[in-house]
Amino acid sequence: MNVSRRSPRAEARPPLHRQAWLPWLLLTPGLIWLLLWFVLPLAQLLPVSLSENADRFRMTLVFRGRIANYAEVMTQYAPVLARSLAYAAASTALAALIAYPLAWVIRFRGGRWKGLLLALVVLPFFTSSMVRAIAWTTLLGDDGPLLSTLRALGLPPGTRLLNTAVAVVGGLTYNALPFMVLPITLSLERIPTELLDAARDLQAGPWIVFRRVVLPLSAPGLAAGIVLSLIPAAGDVVNAQFLGGPNNRMIGNVVQSLILVQRQLPRGAALALVLMALMTATVLVHVRRHGSSDLTLS
Amino acid sequence: MPRQAQPVPAPLSREEPLPSLGRRRFLRQAVLAGGAAALGPALLAACRSGGGDRKRRLVISNWPLYIDPTKDGVPGTVDRFRKQTGIEVSYSEDQNDSVAFFAKIQPVLAAGRPIVQDLFVTPYWLAERLIRLGWADPLPLDGVANASRLIPSLRKPSWDPSGRFTLPWQSGITGIAYNIEATGRPLTSVDDLFDPRLKGKVGFLTEMRDTMGMLMLADGKDITRPSYAAAEPSFARLEQAKKDGQIRAFTGNDYQDDLLAGNFAACVAWSGDVAQLALEQPKLRFLVPPTGTTLWADVMVMPKGAPHRQEAAEWLKFVYDPATAARIAAAVKYISPVAGVQEVLARTPATAALARNPLMFPDREMEARLRVFGPLASGEEARFDERFASITEG
Repeated sequence: MNVSRRSPRAEARPPLHRQAWLPWLLLTPGLIWLLLWFVLPLAQLLPVSLSENADRFRMTLVFRGRIANYAEVMTQYAPVLARSLAYAAASTALAALIAYPLAWVIRFRGGRWKGLLLALVVLPFFTSSMVRAIAWTTLLGDDGPLLSTLRALGLPPGTRLLNTAVAVVGGLTYNALPFMVLPITLSLERIPTELLDAARDLQAGPWIVFRRVVLPLSAPGLAAGIVLSLIPAAGDVVNAQFLGGPNNRMIGNVVQSLILVQRQLPRGAALALVLMALMTATVLVHVRRHGSSDLTLS
Repeated sequence: MPRQAQPVPAPLSREEPLPSLGRRRFLRQAVLAGGAAALGPALLAACRSGGGDRKRRLVISNWPLYIDPTKDGVPGTVDRFRKQTGIEVSYSEDQNDSVAFFAKIQPVLAAGRPIVQDLFVTPYWLAERLIRLGWADPLPLDGVANASRLIPSLRKPSWDPSGRFTLPWQSGITGIAYNIEATGRPLTSVDDLFDPRLKGKVGFLTEMRDTMGMLMLADGKDITRPSYAAAEPSFARLEQAKKDGQIRAFTGNDYQDDLLAGNFAACVAWSGDVAQLALEQPKLRFLVPPTGTTLWADVMVMPKGAPHRQEAAEWLKFVYDPATAARIAAAVKYISPVAGVQEVLARTPATAALARNPLMFPDREMEARLRVFGPLASGEEARFDERFASITEG
């Protein structure tokens, strides 16, 4: 201990980590970043969404407080919104079903391979999601390796995968996997094995151990995985674009078309905000039910 | 439109030295460009307008694989132009999606500042829009005697009635490409795309005028003066086919991959692409529907305020020379807009067959089937775009 060496002057001052300004100083870079690249563009989006397109090519927008933009996009694109949420929910559920056993194996049977197994889960995500989707178009094509093999095993000819809802949900599920596996593994990691031994000592069979001990204790990880998978999936553009057909477009594709192709900025902005509101509501409901600690796994 | 999906190179090549700018001026110019969406071209434009630009330079932007490249030691058109004129050309194949490109340059041109390119190649309908908005400069045609070699069918076209703002780079035909093994029979009309036996194996183009032009002509409509009312029945037909699962996908030039991979049995396609693809896949056929189809052109446009007018004139002169135009035509297999190319190709045994190809040199019978999709008034165009997007994205 070097307290005795401190000068009386230093003693009078609170230690560095107790300084009131320190948290603010540490927060500043993050706050500036969020303000510049998140809050400001978002604040700009709001008046745009309430404007009217005076000239769509010159992009002269006139602010008219036009709430009808919202009503219009919500009516016109209600089926696409519903489809996007359905695809997102399906892919999240599938990812949970695949990820949970995987996480369980990594935690309880991984042994010294644990780190490697986790790295393997994350490895495909070192490439961009677009590259992965394009790679899938080759795999899922009508004459591609997957269908050729399945046909040889008796799948009726004419069955398609590429440009179907199955392919889109599959792609979204794939994207969601690491976001599901990592938090679940982390939450399983924190379950002491003694607790499982205790349950077994009390005559609990494997199913009861899982149902009454493991699942409740890993619920925060599962809940975090669900939110982390659901949100990016609902707003995804790439999978529907490359793996879907014209009947499988998602809301991200519509926003892109409204802004880039149709040059209907106000409606594009309105639709983007509607999606954001929906997602925010989902997270709020989640936080209400489970508390925000799930998301941070604390 | 040989639009291979390729990594998009930066719009400015390494040969283009960046004039040094004070950080403040650089930032100010970038901010003036307005908005993050425009940041890429805006930053480049900011770099560009930095003065002291005495070197003879030219910045051209074109679609991928749309020119003869330098290959096996034989210099391509760009390299020969560099050598002959001493002009430093930055030639980028960064045109991949015309609507996205428009979205990028729009804020810069709307702010009255030049974009990085001196010349770019864009579809005729986008050129028409740029001329209408006052965002194109007249081409420096005074010093370009070769411009008179423009083939008669493309002179003073509907997208540029004065003929002063555009010169076609290549022209082409929208038709139906199909794999005869997959269809099991030769296709004869647009109706074949709606044949239930091809359900889920048919592709249409996201390029609205090409898809709708062909369908409207099949419905007996005049596309040289298109109206929304005339197009509605064709839209309804397309929408029904989409709902029924007849249409597998709407694509850009990636239809080529789907055709080769066997995902499409038939699709709406561009003539030159199919001429090139047929070398890989001999079962491919190309139908120019008897009810008619669209003739389109990708044209060279000089954006407002482009500084290198003299150099651009020399480029236009060079690529409109029949010998150069013939090299380009032999590589890309589209319709060359330059008169005399057919004769040049016919003289060389290696290219003589191309000179007889009706897709590259349409004969009278073929020409009679071709129509250019006419200009759309702004309000009409919005309705077309919205209706089309409701089908492709809905």
